[in-house]
Amino acid sequence: MNNIDPIRILRCKIALQTMKDYQKITIILTLLFMGIAVMYSSMYPAFKDVMADMVESGFAESFAAFRGSEDMASYVGFLNIELYQIFWLLIFGILVGFIAASLISKEIEAKTIDLFMSNPVSRKQIVFEKYLGLIPLILIINFATMITVYGVTLAVNEELNFENLFMTHIISIPYFMAVAGIGLVVSVIINEKMKASIIMIAVLVGMFVFESISLMIPDYESMGLISITHYFNPYDILKLGKVDVVGVIVLFVVIIECLIISMLYFEKCDIAVS
Amino acid sequence: MDVIETKNLTKYYGKIKGVEDLTFSVKKGEIFGFLGPNGAGKTTTIRTLLGFLKPTRGEAYIFGKNIEEDIVEIKREVGYIPGDLNLYGHLTGKQFLDYFASLRDTDMSLLDGLLEIFEVPLERKIKGYSKGMKQKLGIIQAFMDDPDLVIMDEPTASLDPLLQQKFYEFLHKQKKKGKTQFFSSHILSEVDKICDRVGIIRDGKLVALEDIETLKSKKGKIIRLRIKEKPEAFKGPKDMNIKDGWIQFVASDDVDRWIKLLAKYTILDLEINEFSLEDIFIHYYKGET
Repeated sequence: MNNIDPIRILRCKIALQTMKDYQKITIILTLLFMGIAVMYSSMYPAFKDVMADMVESGFAESFAAFRGSEDMASYVGFLNIELYQIFWLLIFGILVGFIAASLISKEIEAKTIDLFMSNPVSRKQIVFEKYLGLIPLILIINFATMITVYGVTLAVNEELNFENLFMTHIISIPYFMAVAGIGLVVSVIINEKMKASIIMIAVLVGMFVFESISLMIPDYESMGLISITHYFNPYDILKLGKVDVVGVIVLFVVIIECLIISMLYFEKCDIAVS
Repeated sequence: MDVIETKNLTKYYGKIKGVEDLTFSVKKGEIFGFLGPNGAGKTTTIRTLLGFLKPTRGEAYIFGKNIEEDIVEIKREVGYIPGDLNLYGHLTGKQFLDYFASLRDTDMSLLDGLLEIFEVPLERKIKGYSKGMKQKLGIIQAFMDDPDLVIMDEPTASLDPLLQQKFYEFLHKQKKKGKTQFFSSHILSEVDKICDRVGIIRDGKLVALEDIETLKSKKGKIIRLRIKEKPEAFKGPKDMNIKDGWIQFVASDDVDRWIKLLAKYTILDLEINEFSLEDIFIHYYKGET
């Protein structure tokens, strides 16, 4: 329908501006996650014995909602639960979703969208480039966290397969991009920034609950399939170097579908004011 | 080819009417006034023309291109000043203009000149701007790449009289260059000062499409007065009315005559008011709405 000159798209001015807009939050979150990574990886030696007791006494079972909880006493298992399952998969996932859900809704709520759209840019291009502009945030925090874990592991002299660590952070990229994709869909449908972000958190927490139930109750195993967290398992990669190829494919399908849905929806909708 | 052409353009928000069956055209090089009271559908019309809202029915063309098919191409030649102007508060004026210039991707031939007329603190963040400063920035961004058409939704609302004057002069200069301007307003005196032709919209419908001269002939002043003598004794026009001792009538263009007549009476109180848009409707378009 819209004849878009490919060269104009490649210039990615909207993506660039989006990136600049998130510059401050990228720096803050990078420092935050580096700090968390330092804390948990350096804490392990002090907790080693306590963790071993916990696993023996069966206390670790209360973490059954997370994958790899049976291995909590080892360095990899400890990192998996404390850092990757909670702060990475869940908390960073929520943060990425929260930000993504405001990508478009923010402009509609603040009514800056009117003037913005008076420029010769197509609606599809706006959606796509806004999404693109969020990816650097994901990449920077992702690799900064990886380097921190690597550094601290060397410093505390614990055992960790660094190839697996690298793979974990490579697969993290499509996972967070898929989360951002879901956030983008919410962002084009809900026109209020806070409402969109809160709905997105509810979606992610809901997914996480489904996945947890499926892990704890074998009869409900298939419930986990609707959760995005089901398709990215840091423990398997970190400990065993096992990448769930089907999971990665699902993540990419989610990314593409979310982008298509967002672009088509935004193309057709009225831009409401007030 | 007309610059803007609409045929039965209709926009409903669900069941609520925005605008209905708008058919009008704007010619190249004219300043077209789009006049109507608040809530008449001026903004809906503009936002539909710019592709923010999908028409429920009818069609519209800008530079001969269909707004539903070629909106991105159309916007290359169109500038816009929204009625409810909202800018990115976290950017400085300069960052904002640079960003928009990069999206337009063309020569910003008028930028320097505009910055001279409409001074804004470019290095300051927009959230610290006053309403007037924001409006000036809105004007600058709309005209900076010298587009062939600029659509303005009540652009003078937050400008002081001096700046309004500068703005009108600027519009006039653009007109001389053959640029087309679509100017929405609810202020009659403003429209008749600068526009060549006027479309009048009320309750979502176009009630009149007139040359400015025709509209001017429909202007007038409302004179209200109380006199010491019996109100009935006042030799006013036939359609004057008397209520609670107040005499009220419309003076179309001959104020002088009336003032001289008034001098013959003992005036207790006197009010002379400009015809408002509503008065125009009441006096001239009663049957058409």
